[in-house]
Amino acid sequence: MTEFLESILLVENPDAILVTTTEGRIVHWSNGAKAMFLYDKTETLGRLMDDLIVPPEQIAEAEKILRETVESGFSTYESIRRRKDGSLVYVAISGKTVRDKQGEVFVLSTKKDVTHLKVLRDAKLVEARFGNLLESTPDGIIMANATGRIVLANSQAEKLFGYKRGEMRGQLVETLLPARYRRSHVGHRSNYFAQPRARAMGAGLELNGLRKDGMEFPVEISLSPLETDEGTLVISAVRDITERKRFERALHDKNIELQNAASAKNRFLANMSHELRTPLNGIIGFAEFLSDGKPGPLNDRQKEYLGDILNSGRHLLQLINDVLDLAKVEAGKMELKPDTFSLRASLDEVCAVIKPLAQRKGIQVTARVAAELPPVTLDQQKFKQVLYNLLANAVKFTDDRGRVEIDVQPAPDQRFAMTVKDNGIGIKPEDFHRLFTEFEQLESGHARRYEGTGLGLALTRKLTELQGGVITVQSEVGHGSAFTVTFPLAIPPEHP
Amino acid sequence: MRSARILVVDDNPTNLKLASTLLEIDGHEVHRAGDAEAALLLIASTPLDLILMDIALPGMDGLTLTRQLKADEKTRQIVIVALTAFAMKGDEAKAREAGCDGYITKPIDTRALPRQIDQFLGSSGA
Repeated sequence: MTEFLESILLVENPDAILVTTTEGRIVHWSNGAKAMFLYDKTETLGRLMDDLIVPPEQIAEAEKILRETVESGFSTYESIRRRKDGSLVYVAISGKTVRDKQGEVFVLSTKKDVTHLKVLRDAKLVEARFGNLLESTPDGIIMANATGRIVLANSQAEKLFGYKRGEMRGQLVETLLPARYRRSHVGHRSNYFAQPRARAMGAGLELNGLRKDGMEFPVEISLSPLETDEGTLVISAVRDITERKRFERALHDKNIELQNAASAKNRFLANMSHELRTPLNGIIGFAEFLSDGKPGPLNDRQKEYLGDILNSGRHLLQLINDVLDLAKVEAGKMELKPDTFSLRASLDEVCAVIKPLAQRKGIQVTARVAAELPPVTLDQQKFKQVLYNLLANAVKFTDDRGRVEIDVQPAPDQRFAMTVKDNGIGIKPEDFHRLFTEFEQLESGHARRYEGTGLGLALTRKLTELQGGVITVQSEVGHGSAFTVTFPLAIPPEHP
Repeated sequence: MRSARILVVDDNPTNLKLASTLLEIDGHEVHRAGDAEAALLLIASTPLDLILMDIALPGMDGLTLTRQLKADEKTRQIVIVALTAFAMKGDEAKAREAGCDGYITKPIDTRALPRQIDQFLGSSGA
């Protein structure tokens, strides 16, 4: 009978019964230990407990208790242990020193699985402290303890995941994840308990929750640790973002649609430009040909009217070229070809082109370039186009015998500022914001007196910005305008 | 300036007339073709110094015709100048690649055209 009792106590006892050396090396491993920790006897004999069943965060504590047990001969405590599959269990441990026949000291310990008791205890604790509060938040709230068991879920969380009241308690939090995330989540969870801090989980990641009925839904989760007398708990606030995801996707689709529409527009403009240039070739070509008198002599009125056809044709051509350039800039197809050149020389060339126009209206054009300015590295052709457009505008909107001044000065941060100033009709402050917009020619008061495409300044701004430049305007009605462009002395690398 | 034998290829009748008239007034012997097929017939029967070639043509396009002429021993020496309203980046490179000796964009500058043509004739050594 005694033998029988001894055998069932040792073999059938559901608690884990271990005997170790005073260093913690395993010399006996009961069937109950195998059932609890999932290791076979053969895998454990001679191994250290620290290596097999003590989680890294508990090693220091486990070693301390082992030393105390050896000194005092007895110990009883609760802690967390790890099973072979990585899952954690709460255990109540009793330890006692024993001696063999030779008098050598060993430690006998029994470990009882109290995971579920612990969940109930934690649940009682947090429910007493937070129960009502958690019911009042709109998010699903789930609290878990260090073994990854859910101790409390508010009704929002239960509804979110499709569980009945109280049904989530005691489950592993991994139950709420699709199977493909579970394995890695266990690792994240133990890392979190090693270094708990408030954070948003999976920020920027697609994170899914799993309902009890097997349906997945996108979630956003934030975590924060909660210290209690019963150890650290983790609070997760879970939000269903199905609606938001749907909205984001709709927005994304809409953006692509808009981009397609924009590139269709640019393609259309490019083709249109080609189609328009073909008949213009005939209009401009024959008008020029006739007005040069090549097919025969003309009288003065015929010459004048042909000149009108020619000017209108050239105006239309300029418009088409501007549209094409704008489309190229907007499509990102405009390439910069930077070279190093002298500002003075470049200015002189543009002035030479504009002077005949200015002279016809008796407008004086002067240019001043600060002597200390070094040669600059920009796309010269586009720089000239900017200056030409500003000068052509200044001459166009200035009355006969007016003045146009160009002033180029160094500016801070390795830049220079070029101002084109006139004493023409000026611009109303409320019109400033429309100035650089396509097809917005300011007409109030001087309608049709000054012809223009309404594209010049929009293009000028784009050509300026393409090279890292900025364009600004100062003006007073009746007293003239000053347009200032500031450029880097060399095109910065982010604008290659 | 000397007279040259020039073929103008353009499917737009007005533009064909404009370029041809300008060159005739300048004293050149000018032939006209409205498409690549008509151009080929003419080239086979007429000795030429230069072709002013529109690129967008119905049927065979101007660049294909250029490649064909530059691949043929008998027509290789004819100077070919592309004349096109395609003023996009890369268009000139495509024309050069096909074998064009020069490239002029529309609208043509009627005052500059005679000198441009003389330069192409001179530089080719024709």
